[in-house]
Amino acid sequence: MSEDKVIVANKGMVRADFNFWVGRYLDKFLDNLENKKLVGNKCPKCGDVFVPPRKICGKCNITIPIDQNWVDLPDTGILKNYTITPYRVNDRTDRKAKDLLLGMIQIDGSNTAIVYKLLNLKPEEIKTGMKVKIEWAEKPKGDPSDIKGFVKI
Amino acid sequence: MEKVGIVGYYQVKLYSDANYGRYEMIFEAVRGAIDMAGLKKKDISTVISCTNDYYDGRTISNCFTVEVGGGYMTDESKVEMDGAHAVLYGLMRILSGNHKLALVWGGSMASCFPYHSTRLFETDPTWERPLAYVNDITSAGFQMRSYMEKYGVSAEEIASVAVKNRKNAARNPLALAEAQNVNINVKEVLASDIYADPVTELMVAQPCDGVAAILLAPERLALKITDKPVWITGVGFSQEPYYLGDRNLYESKSMELAGKTAFESAGIKDPKREIDVAELFESYAHEELILAEALGLAEKGKGANINSEINGDISINPSGGATSGNPPCATGLIRVIEAARQLRGEANGYQVNNAKKAVASGQIGMCAQNNILFVLEGGN
Repeated sequence: MSEDKVIVANKGMVRADFNFWVGRYLDKFLDNLENKKLVGNKCPKCGDVFVPPRKICGKCNITIPIDQNWVDLPDTGILKNYTITPYRVNDRTDRKAKDLLLGMIQIDGSNTAIVYKLLNLKPEEIKTGMKVKIEWAEKPKGDPSDIKGFVKI
Repeated sequence: MEKVGIVGYYQVKLYSDANYGRYEMIFEAVRGAIDMAGLKKKDISTVISCTNDYYDGRTISNCFTVEVGGGYMTDESKVEMDGAHAVLYGLMRILSGNHKLALVWGGSMASCFPYHSTRLFETDPTWERPLAYVNDITSAGFQMRSYMEKYGVSAEEIASVAVKNRKNAARNPLALAEAQNVNINVKEVLASDIYADPVTELMVAQPCDGVAAILLAPERLALKITDKPVWITGVGFSQEPYYLGDRNLYESKSMELAGKTAFESAGIKDPKREIDVAELFESYAHEELILAEALGLAEKGKGANINSEINGDISINPSGGATSGNPPCATGLIRVIEAARQLRGEANGYQVNNAKKAVASGQIGMCAQNNILFVLEGGN
């Protein structure tokens, strides 16, 4: 902002945190994460396997019943895509000293990809199509950060 | 489709940090469009605004823009997507037969808020947001890599799109000064700061301050107002699944579908031959290629091989596209205005010869999840 402007930096007079309920499907998924286990669910019509699990298959426009079609998934997958960013993704004005290596990983046996950090890798070692494995958090809490990231197998 | 004409438009000069407030800016654009058409405020029967509560820092943000946005004691409604989507809403209101003259405006001031942080609020709050790995920048990195690896396109080829658009922007007096550069080259684009590898700073359509407005009228009224109406002859609109992992980021299925619908309604069989100008909303240089390919303006993976300069095989983004300035909520609307400018022969400095048919697109979402396409024709 230019120096001569009068700026009202508005932090807000109230604090209004929004509490999102994760829902029954993600709840079950996160319970499993806490035990270092990965589960997904399968659309009864097209057979696509989703991780994290979904209530609805958008393509088929049907509900995947909560008590059915759960699939145990391995902790391995394939790196489908990656990017390297020197910025904290939630604020690009805040430059981090270290590059953040992010990958889109398709868990073996699933039909979608999830975005996580790539660990213990140099940028030049990353190749699309390489096999990777989950690095679990030491003390899982039942939230998305239980997967610390993925390492090369 | 019944003919609806664009009878007036106005875009303010884009700034990275405008020295005047958003209300003055909105008023300038709205009043400018009304004056261009030689009309009065009372002639407007419906107003569609396009803003975003997150970008405006308040809820129901259009309640504050009533007076400046031409909405005083008028039928007014808001679209919280891209300005091009607001044009669709205005178009539908005219086609309903209930409204005679629609004023559509959109815009915001990106200098007031951390744009990329705000985009984080677009992500899934239960799964993606806590980790904050996905935002517009990182997803653009994924999208560009996916496109390069799928089709064997080089970073140089993508950087040359940014070079073309920044050179075109230099000929567009309303473009963001920071985007205007006649001497830019591919090397410079590649050497600029890395946003999310392989995307670099100069490949990004930088968020900025700006507002644009447009006036729509049904055929008979349009012909009374102006002897140079621009007709909307086709429109298509589609969107892709939300999760990036569900999509093929190297292509744009939603733009393909939007194009199919729009071309069908406009009676266009061979877009590559029939379209003279394309004003596409590319948030990043590589998106221009992906979108052009989705519209059949180039073969898949070969977008970089066509000559898309002004008066080339097909002129893509002669105004500089979104790279020439990306005021959130206005960018797609500006594409429509730029296409109209070309068809009226008013693009001084970057006019495409003999421009008869044009397309203009808008988008919203990560990796252009949602695309809208208009086919426009000049003459009466």
